[in-house]
Amino acid sequence: MTINHRRNLTNRCNALKSTGPRSTAGKRASSQNSRKHGLNSAPDFESSLEYKALVVLIAEEGFSGFACADIAAGILNYRRVMDAYFDTYTSPEPCDEFLRDVSVKGSIPIFREMLSESGSKPQDVRDMAALFTSMQRQERRKGGPVSRRTADTHKLIRYQRNAIARLSRAVRQG
Amino acid sequence: MLYTIHFSIGVDVVMTVKDKSKSLLPFLSSPKLLPNESEAEFQAGLQSLLSELDNPSPLTVALVSQLNECLWWIKRHTVDKELLLHEAMARLLSKAGSNWMPSANSKLSVALEHYLEGSEHKDEAVLIEQALTEANLTLSDLRVRAFKDAARHIKMVDDLIHRQHQTIRHLQRSIDSIDYKSRLIKRMDLELAALESKQSVKGALTLDDKPS
Repeated sequence: MTINHRRNLTNRCNALKSTGPRSTAGKRASSQNSRKHGLNSAPDFESSLEYKALVVLIAEEGFSGFACADIAAGILNYRRVMDAYFDTYTSPEPCDEFLRDVSVKGSIPIFREMLSESGSKPQDVRDMAALFTSMQRQERRKGGPVSRRTADTHKLIRYQRNAIARLSRAVRQG
Repeated sequence: MLYTIHFSIGVDVVMTVKDKSKSLLPFLSSPKLLPNESEAEFQAGLQSLLSELDNPSPLTVALVSQLNECLWWIKRHTVDKELLLHEAMARLLSKAGSNWMPSANSKLSVALEHYLEGSEHKDEAVLIEQALTEANLTLSDLRVRAFKDAARHIKMVDDLIHRQHQTIRHLQRSIDSIDYKSRLIKRMDLELAALESKQSVKGALTLDDKPS
């Protein structure tokens, strides 16, 4: 077994003992972990320059003031969703090739050696191997980069559906 | 930067509608393209859609550029379907092989990609053929199995493509409604003008009649 492989395994085993960030900066960084696209936050289009410019342009087409505001907000909202769609598509969750390809069976001697230092029992080695197997199964289930970006983009379907429905309704009722 | 351009164009109220339609393009159709995609092709698609419209308004241009983007996404997702199959094929091959080192997975994946494109090197072809022999599979068997393996993700891509079709339908309806509205306004203007002229002729006749 190569040194890199061994070091990688050791790091991962040690990371499993971690209880999360301790510093304020670390906590602040990890508090943003679940934030992905920001599409659930309420946008403020009314104060933007693009919105005002769009309203002026749309008003010249004979739409009422309310309709212009609705259509401009609809267009900007749709653009926001499609920009997030593109960003999600181009930056999927990275593959952990090490975890995906590592042989858990072949790593058991390393687990044993590492855990023997802290006087652990054979059951602990089996538990650690089981944990790695489960993590590996999850990683493999997610697939390669194309599968990941597909799954990530698929989550944005409902945002696109709502955004286009809003825009289309605003235009047709205007 | 694009926003600034748009604003500076948007506030220029003395521009004609046609000019404004053109000037909206950089903002609303600013393509976010992948490194291997051609911007010229994207713009050509947009221009061909716009050329079908008779004097499009700025709002119509905005909607058509979104429609063009949807068509572009359909293209991307269609390519992804094939890529998903390739990914699953590489995964199955590496799983079936008995002597594969973990580091060989990505190498195998790249080799398979080249092999399927027909641009493989000699050693890549040997690698794939050896892997196929070891797995006791033909290329078509492998493809069938990969399809089964990647079915969940292929279904997702189909959903994404379907969504783009639905979006296109929405956009088309919106464009139709704008077109209908402008025609209606034109027609009403004409009718009003006709009524006014009729009224003025009638008024002139009554005025002529009165003195007598």
